[in-house]
Amino acid sequence: MGADPAFVDFQHASFSYDGASFVFQDLNLSVPQGQFLCILGDNGSGKSTLAKHVDALLKPTEGSVFVFGANTKEPEQLFFIRSNAGFVFQNPDDQIVATLIENEVAFGPENLGVENPELRERVQDSIQEVGLQGFQLHETHALSGGQKQRVCIAGALAMEPALLVLDEATAMLDPRGRSGLMRLIGQLHESGMTIIMITHFMDEAAQADRVVVLDAGTIRMDGTPDDVLSRASELQELSLEAPFACQLSVKLQELGVPVPVCITQDELEEQLCALL
Amino acid sequence: MRLAVESVSYSYSGPEGERKARRARARSGARAEAVGASAEARRADWGNDPQDIWALRDVSFSIREGEFFGIAGHTGSGKSTLLQIMNGLIRPTEGRVTFDGLDLSSKHDAARAREEIGLVFQYPEHQLFANTVYDDVAFGPRSRKMDAAEVDRRVREGLRLVGLPFDEVAERSPFSLSGGQQRRVAIAGVLAMEPAVLILDEPMAGIDPGARDEFLGLLESLHDSGRTIVMVSHSMEDLARLCERILILSEGRIFALGAPDEVFADPAALKAVGLGVPAAQALAVKLRQAGFKLDRPLYDMSSLAEDIAAQVGREAAGVIPQTMLGAEAGERHE
Amino acid sequence: MNERAIIGQYWPEDSFVHHMDPRVKCILSIAVMVIILCAGNAASLAVAAAFVILFYAASRIPLAQAVRAVGPLLVIVILTAVLNILFVQGGTVYFQFGIICVSEDGLISAAFIGCRLLLLLLAMSLLTLTTTTLDITAAFERLISPLARIGVPAHELSMILGLALRFLPQFMQELSVISRAQKSRGATLTMNPFKGGFSTMASLIVPLFASAFRHADTLSAAMEARCYHGGVGTTRLNPLRTSWRDGVGSVVVALMAACVVIMNCII
Repeated sequence: MGADPAFVDFQHASFSYDGASFVFQDLNLSVPQGQFLCILGDNGSGKSTLAKHVDALLKPTEGSVFVFGANTKEPEQLFFIRSNAGFVFQNPDDQIVATLIENEVAFGPENLGVENPELRERVQDSIQEVGLQGFQLHETHALSGGQKQRVCIAGALAMEPALLVLDEATAMLDPRGRSGLMRLIGQLHESGMTIIMITHFMDEAAQADRVVVLDAGTIRMDGTPDDVLSRASELQELSLEAPFACQLSVKLQELGVPVPVCITQDELEEQLCALL
Repeated sequence: MRLAVESVSYSYSGPEGERKARRARARSGARAEAVGASAEARRADWGNDPQDIWALRDVSFSIREGEFFGIAGHTGSGKSTLLQIMNGLIRPTEGRVTFDGLDLSSKHDAARAREEIGLVFQYPEHQLFANTVYDDVAFGPRSRKMDAAEVDRRVREGLRLVGLPFDEVAERSPFSLSGGQQRRVAIAGVLAMEPAVLILDEPMAGIDPGARDEFLGLLESLHDSGRTIVMVSHSMEDLARLCERILILSEGRIFALGAPDEVFADPAALKAVGLGVPAAQALAVKLRQAGFKLDRPLYDMSSLAEDIAAQVGREAAGVIPQTMLGAEAGERHE
Repeated sequence: MNERAIIGQYWPEDSFVHHMDPRVKCILSIAVMVIILCAGNAASLAVAAAFVILFYAASRIPLAQAVRAVGPLLVIVILTAVLNILFVQGGTVYFQFGIICVSEDGLISAAFIGCRLLLLLLAMSLLTLTTTTLDITAAFERLISPLARIGVPAHELSMILGLALRFLPQFMQELSVISRAQKSRGATLTMNPFKGGFSTMASLIVPLFASAFRHADTLSAAMEARCYHGGVGTTRLNPLRTSWRDGVGSVVVALMAACVVIMNCII
């Protein structure tokens, strides 16, 4: 991975589908190893396009993107980049290739040429890691949305990636499936995985180390969740809704209650109880 | 009482569901047994589980004319089945559904009632197919052999109701529109049947944050113009904001039914069935336990902010002399 | 919506036949079907039937399940039998009404052809009952892989077959949702071309294709992201391995061939 400290590095990257209008232009973004980065943005902000660059599924029209120090434009680096970066899409039904769960999870490592018994071990471990043990021989089709998305993550984990990109992976799940998946992502991050997550759910962003807000292809905000998510009016301008606790604390401040702007409810509750 | 659901149960082992259950078994059960998987593992997804054959059990309620009625429940609680039973697409194993005296268990009555009860499926834009928006919205009326003038009137009315400018979109391909507009077209297609009751399954799913408010406004306006609306949603905020009554389903049974303040009174109980309560309400309940005096049965953000400010706002802001503040605080502690 | 009827339903069991190599099973099933077709008289057919029953016993599949598996196709058996009764004439006439004439030869021919067809179906469904679709796909790939040398994309063909099998139940489900959705917006679904059948077809097929294209787009990206690059250098979670069982199976089928040929000759 060389001397480059950044895992993912966008250097003056621009991208256009048609050569005329740019999805993003002259974008600079660098993600160090081990970071949990959340990218927020309204539809059309270019956040999914950006995510696809990280796994070299798209290549910048101008400028460069370096992943693990390798330039995504060099075809001979693609295998290296993709084998070390997992990608999970929004709709699990679009990305599952096999009928049985264990074959689905094995698909990535099979392509990498991993031999048995390591292959079998990896499949077992990944399935265990996402909490689906005992389901190996179930058909992927009969699972719930949350379970399917777990299978997709297991499929990425079986490739033993250093980086996991999630492109609105929670968008189609119900609240229960969503919170379960967020817990899993938190665990993966704690175990040292670098995570880049695209979302428009603010409560998910609150879990990250760093939040970047994208609007029309430009980075409008970049900082810790405490910093970014508490700027309620700015977020509103970008068609994003600040977390409930933040909105409420801003409103309370207007009404003369001396609370700091909090981004989680537990924090706000604590602050308010201290006032009582 | 327009739409009444009378002790409805739905079983996969009934004549309608037998085929479904067999498929479900083929999919998940058979393999699991082969490897001797644990009972928990075999329980892949509620509703697909061959052991759990009852999707709905003894569900009774009625929807009043002009009501905005909400339904919530986690995945597999029987919501989708209930919606389809309510507009006669599937027949209950036990019990019956009536609409203005029509019994939906009769095939003929169900077909007639379906004209009055429009069901908008989840991601309805996925059912668009025609070359132009006009033809797509006109699909229902034309299938019912209405004459051209009537079809035209209904298409215009449908598009107007969903807030799409007729002249701009009518001749365009529905596939060239944005996701949100496509959903509006799909809803217009159901509205073109001029249903008195509109049932929507997760109408807000996949709508991006910038367009949410506008879309909720659309639902509100459809209700204000006199329609009865039934909405399934995961968002407790949306349900609390729009609905007059909310039905909570869990494991195919009615868990709670009542006005939002009744249903959301006990966050812990709802959490047990995999659901939350609106954020403001959840915080209000916690603060109340911590000693805040919060009397309203249901809170939203502004009412919560007001009530909190009334208790800790003034004195802490420093406009009141220290002595008075002490006295007031002392009073409260008693 | 009985999607399983087409490809036969897998019956999980821990048996001799289940543990055979799917490649060998594919070839042997074809061999068994050829042998059944070669059985020229009642005696040789009876021998063939005995062997088929033996195979089912070895696979521990209950006979009721076997019959259920061929269930929908039994119509063909019955239809063929009836046609034979009606059109093959000769010998004693048992029943006559107008042009309908049931004769001795007709009945014999019907019984013979009917039994032969039934045996064929049973032999065919034994493969699908004891082999998962995935194994059949893998076997298919290996069996046609020699053709890769003359330019047939063997790996790609089997990948396509695998994906088709994976998406089949999903598309069936989507189609059923689409049809219910169109019904709930007033459509009277009809296949009659004079009553708007074309419009009905379009209202079902267009959304289904739109959905297929949506899936295809992401699917190719998702496969790329997981380093899919064709068949070269990939490994398999469940590699196909031949075992002593395959040897035994082949010998039994050879024995069946010999018995049937002998019966054909001596009677």
